[in-house]
Amino acid sequence: MTSPATPPAARESGSGWYVYGVVPAAQVSGDVFADASGVHPPGHVVLVADADLAAIASTVPLSEFGEAAIAENLHDAAWLEDKVRAHEAVLEAALARAPLVPFRFGTIYRNDEQVRQMLREHSGLGETLERLQGTFELGVKAFLDAAEFDRRHGDEPDAAQAEGGRAYLLRKQRDRKVGEARSSFAAACARDSHEALTAAAEDGRANPLQRLEVSGRAGEMILNGAYLVRTEREEAFREAVAALESTYRGDGVRYEVTGPWPAYNFVTTDSEQ
Amino acid sequence: MTEHLPAAQQDVTLLELVDRVLNKGVVLTGDITLSVADVDLVYVGLRVLLASVATLEQPETGGA
Repeated sequence: MTSPATPPAARESGSGWYVYGVVPAAQVSGDVFADASGVHPPGHVVLVADADLAAIASTVPLSEFGEAAIAENLHDAAWLEDKVRAHEAVLEAALARAPLVPFRFGTIYRNDEQVRQMLREHSGLGETLERLQGTFELGVKAFLDAAEFDRRHGDEPDAAQAEGGRAYLLRKQRDRKVGEARSSFAAACARDSHEALTAAAEDGRANPLQRLEVSGRAGEMILNGAYLVRTEREEAFREAVAALESTYRGDGVRYEVTGPWPAYNFVTTDSEQ
Repeated sequence: MTEHLPAAQQDVTLLELVDRVLNKGVVLTGDITLSVADVDLVYVGLRVLLASVATLEQPETGGA
């Protein structure tokens, strides 16, 4: 038989347990999630506990969240936005109350016993929770407005006054010089910013820069940072951002802070837990 | 968390969110039916969302 266009093959039936993250069992009670409907409303979000650890979980139909189904659904913007927001909303319900190890989207177990087994097998989760106690993540992005930078640093009176071919050459030369100055400024500013912010935090990560179209922002992204901040030091951290802003605003740099987030950037992304 | 923010700001937050929820966080292998570990899939996800974000972002891009 010839293969038809993508057989509806592995569409599974039945249900699985979607895990959002892990908290210390003693610090969170299930009613924290009473208002969260989870990724498959109206499924109840519950805690599945084993010894000191509890997984935040809800049941999901595998017809929607099974391997084949989810790969398809990821291409559906409305579905994806909805589920990603639901995942975050569940974690945020716990964020203010207890340390929290966030799981990546789409971690699904066959049944609650397997969830418990996961908790037993990954003792590193407990150590991570201790490390994260009393902290959350803040995101800081810095954007450089090239036109603004060039206006400030591109003055070359010679070029403005010269005429004809010479003016053209001088302008070309000036543009190249300004371009070079801009890239080295961007690198230095990003480094300085990341160092200052990491110093104001427990830990810091400089993530790959997002391209213009992905960032959805005017200006070139020069820093895509995530910082693990003690809750009581949030104010001081935001002041550090404001200080950077006043240092670099004149050069065309803007900063954007997001969060508090669960510490997505400060948990290992593989199974070493 | 984003309710009081202007639309453009919300979109940026959405991208931040997608970047975290799809890209970061603990991935435990084992007897899991699914783990979205494929970076390309994450990128596809971002692209798909961008298409919808672009249509939302037109009017307001902050003051000044």
